[in-house]
Amino acid sequence: MMDFGFKLSPSSAVNLDTVDRARYDRLVQLVPDARTCIDCGSCSATCTAAPWSGMSVRKVLLGLQRGRDDEVDAMLSKCMLCGKCTMVCPRGINTRQLILTLCRLDRKGEVVR
Amino acid sequence: MRERFASHFDPFVIPFLVGMAFVLGYCLIAMIRVILQLPKEDRRRFLVSLITPKQIWINVRDIFLNCLIHVKLWQRNKMLGFMHSSIAFGWFMIILLGHLEVILFVPERIHLFYYPIFFNYFVAETEQTIQGSMLMFLMDFFLLMILSGIAIAIIKRFASRIVGMRRTTRLSLLDRVGLYSLWAIFPLRLLAESFTAHISGGSFLTIPANWIFRQFLGNDLYALPTWWAYSIALGVFMCVLPFTRYMHIPAEMLLIPMRNAGIRIRHPRKGFASLEVYSCPACGVCIDACPMSVLKVNCKDTTVYLNRQLRRGNERRIAEISDKCLLCGKCTAVCPVGVQGPELREAQRARRKYALSPSYAGINVRPMASAVAGGAGGASGGVLYFAGCMTQLTPSIRRATASLLDKAGVRWQMMDPDGGLCCGRPLMMAGRTEQARELIAKNLEIIRASGCDTLLLSCPICYKVFKEDYPLSDIRVVHHSVFFQELIASGQLKVRREEGHKLVWHDPCELGRGCGVYEEPRAALAAAGELVEAGKHHAESICCGGSLGSLSLGFEQRKAMTRNALDNLTVADPAEIVTGCPLCLATFVRAADRPVRDIAEILDTRS
Amino acid sequence: MVNRTPVIAVIGAGIAGLEAARQLSGLGYEPVLIEKAPAVGGHVAEWNRLFPDMAPAADLLQSLEAGTSGIRTHVDTEIASLGRLKDGYSLILSNGETLLCDAVLFATGFHLFDASRKEEYGYGIYDRVITNRDLEQWFNTRHDPRVGKPKAVGFVHCVGSRDVKAGNKQCSKVCCITAIKEAIEIKEEFPDAEVYCFYMDLRLFGKKYEDFYIRAQRDLGIHFIRGRVSEVGEAIDGRVVVKAEDTLSGKPVKVTLDLLVLMAGIVCNPDAQHYARELGVAVDEDGFLKSRDNLGAVIESSRPGVFFAGACTGAKTVPETLAEARSAALAIHQYFNKRR
Repeated sequence: MMDFGFKLSPSSAVNLDTVDRARYDRLVQLVPDARTCIDCGSCSATCTAAPWSGMSVRKVLLGLQRGRDDEVDAMLSKCMLCGKCTMVCPRGINTRQLILTLCRLDRKGEVVR
Repeated sequence: MRERFASHFDPFVIPFLVGMAFVLGYCLIAMIRVILQLPKEDRRRFLVSLITPKQIWINVRDIFLNCLIHVKLWQRNKMLGFMHSSIAFGWFMIILLGHLEVILFVPERIHLFYYPIFFNYFVAETEQTIQGSMLMFLMDFFLLMILSGIAIAIIKRFASRIVGMRRTTRLSLLDRVGLYSLWAIFPLRLLAESFTAHISGGSFLTIPANWIFRQFLGNDLYALPTWWAYSIALGVFMCVLPFTRYMHIPAEMLLIPMRNAGIRIRHPRKGFASLEVYSCPACGVCIDACPMSVLKVNCKDTTVYLNRQLRRGNERRIAEISDKCLLCGKCTAVCPVGVQGPELREAQRARRKYALSPSYAGINVRPMASAVAGGAGGASGGVLYFAGCMTQLTPSIRRATASLLDKAGVRWQMMDPDGGLCCGRPLMMAGRTEQARELIAKNLEIIRASGCDTLLLSCPICYKVFKEDYPLSDIRVVHHSVFFQELIASGQLKVRREEGHKLVWHDPCELGRGCGVYEEPRAALAAAGELVEAGKHHAESICCGGSLGSLSLGFEQRKAMTRNALDNLTVADPAEIVTGCPLCLATFVRAADRPVRDIAEILDTRS
Repeated sequence: MVNRTPVIAVIGAGIAGLEAARQLSGLGYEPVLIEKAPAVGGHVAEWNRLFPDMAPAADLLQSLEAGTSGIRTHVDTEIASLGRLKDGYSLILSNGETLLCDAVLFATGFHLFDASRKEEYGYGIYDRVITNRDLEQWFNTRHDPRVGKPKAVGFVHCVGSRDVKAGNKQCSKVCCITAIKEAIEIKEEFPDAEVYCFYMDLRLFGKKYEDFYIRAQRDLGIHFIRGRVSEVGEAIDGRVVVKAEDTLSGKPVKVTLDLLVLMAGIVCNPDAQHYARELGVAVDEDGFLKSRDNLGAVIESSRPGVFFAGACTGAKTVPETLAEARSAALAIHQYFNKRR
């Protein structure tokens, strides 16, 4: 392999060929509106839990599609379900339903029973 | 007066006896089960309440008023009230008078269960005495009362609009069997008693009927089969009763004393919850009342259907119905039995399993606590104002509240000037009670640090949880509408009244039905303008559609509900719509054709 | 067809109505302008300078008004009712006059979104929050105590557009470029001020729009932040605190501003809907009037003899509106030719 003098850090590069999107796929099946996010960031800016975990529905959705499951779980861990994100979403996504549904899925995208 | 049969028995009573034995046995076992399923302390509390004299009186009164007279239904709908109370009270009186007849005339037969029911078959000619004719008259009178109720019931089933109901429940097969047998019982009794009236006596109803029948029938051959049919109808009704909505009759008699003892739902399916489910008469009053019913697709997600699915154990539908509800509590407000639809649903939600559960233990609230500790509230009391999450999206409320507090010279400070933690109520609504407890502990830390003696809330969602679930017995928790009304009443806040400026008050679900605050905001508004009422108001006000209670309703569906609620609010053509909830405000503002404002804004502009 | 000159009722005397009337009159017809406001000119009359050449809006209006000087014009006049006749239409005006006409042209334009409906932005609550229209009027009059001498100014794009919650999921098309135009003008006015644009997407599709963007970036140092403002608070000194997410860095941003300009979007005109219903003309699901088809017959309604020009069918720029007004006039001309 040629040495460029630098390396892509394996943890920061997203390889879409290998990303496992099972959780995202199941989520959008259950909450189809999740696909309509336009990454405006309203939810992140208004989030009550953001100061504690960097919570952002936008980043959660993006993280799920990029295989960053640990980051997603860490963000979700402080969500208080206060509903502000639902209020401000310009696309009318039911973000509370999205979060609750996501919390019920395991890493393989199965609903826990 | 004589007994007609030396044996005191006829085989036709067997269907009745079988049904009676079955239903009594079933209800007894079910009752013991429910009581055993209660948590220990609840069970103790309930049993103690049963032997407390004052409680006994309350229970008897409530059972009489609710199960027999159906006062709640009378208040809602006279026709429905008459229908139910005529059947229930009439039937009760017939049973009671039957027993009275037995005690008066053949007291030695009182041990025979069937004697009071089929008295006129076994005992003849009681009308000859004054006592007898009185009793006969009363029997006919109450039978007529029941029959008129049944007639309305039949009309209601086929043309519900006549009795003022837009929609009624769709019946299951067994419900139909129960319904038809119930309808059959009383006409059959009339026939049976009429056929035997020339032997056993009768009154204004049975004697003329007897005369007519004898004109063209001419013999007594029809009498015995009709008594058989009457007995069979009773037997069938009682045998299917436990599996139909009529289970509400015995269940409610247990529900009332349990509720009076202060028992709450602790388990989604067992104990009190199951009792509530079985107490549902499936009358369908909640269908028309439910704000979701503006869209026909949601009609089957109302409380009556939740109860049905809970009885059937259809988990998929239970989850669906539980998640959709706005938890506005209107079904409970209109329910003749008072089934707690929202609480039942919250309990179902709490049962759910999660792969991921948030925890707030790691959140450090010390900076927030120390910020309020040194604030204007000070250690010696004062008002701590918690705006809450939603109010950050409605800055007008925060601003007006602050301005009013300053104008009234109140010593106050904000608990969340730069945003705080959520109060925990949204988590509770989602059934995540444990997580909510963690938030409550964190917020308590801040409140305690402030040294306040009053906690002021401008959001009813927060208000309810602070009032009910925070251990704050030494601190007054108050909604701003109540607080400002007091300031106006005491003269600390001067409000100018604008004559002819019509204001309508929207009762937010969590404030009105949730916490019972109805009159204070109205009094405050009456000081600022001309108060008008919405079409439906107070306990029957219609949810704005923005409620955090619903987990699954999408924006488009909510929009229809918002429009419906606005139509209701504008019947008296108010200049402004006033509410006391940031969520209602934000929801209404987007769809309203006239200004929507918080009560604090109204008072602030007039003071 | 009678031999008299066909009369065309032109509803709305904004730039679409004025231009269409001028063309129709040039083609030998008799247009009648009906305007609700006390003066002609519509929204453009409230604007100061227009992109892309920063030409004064007044100049454009002057030339349009000069072209329509001989045309019958009712200002301060509403339409009480519209009716269909056998081959024409009758309009009863609020001044009591009844107008019989052979064709109707909707030049009813748009409404600017009522920014106070977005509670969280605090328009009407905070003294430092104004709308795009307020700013244009300040450029015109230099009178608005809210503007002052700002040191930090923010522009919020997409206020009430691309927002299903506000009831408008469509894009208003012109606000991106208007925001950049106004940002440039503010920066020129107050060279020391920091200027921020909060956008979701920048949609700079028109001629020379990109030049504005480049100029704003390179020459004027205007800050572009990709994130929709979620809430606006107030600092103790009365300035406004804006919260958004800088979605490109994925971090929340907060900035204190002296002036916040909300780019209120273009929404349908409810009057137009009302008139359309009376005439049996279709209204689209976004509330704008529905063209017969959106490719070849944008200016034609579902009903013969009823035509559209300008923003009554959706957001349009000034040149697009003028072009549509001319083609509407031509379509009406063909309509009468066919009937002759």
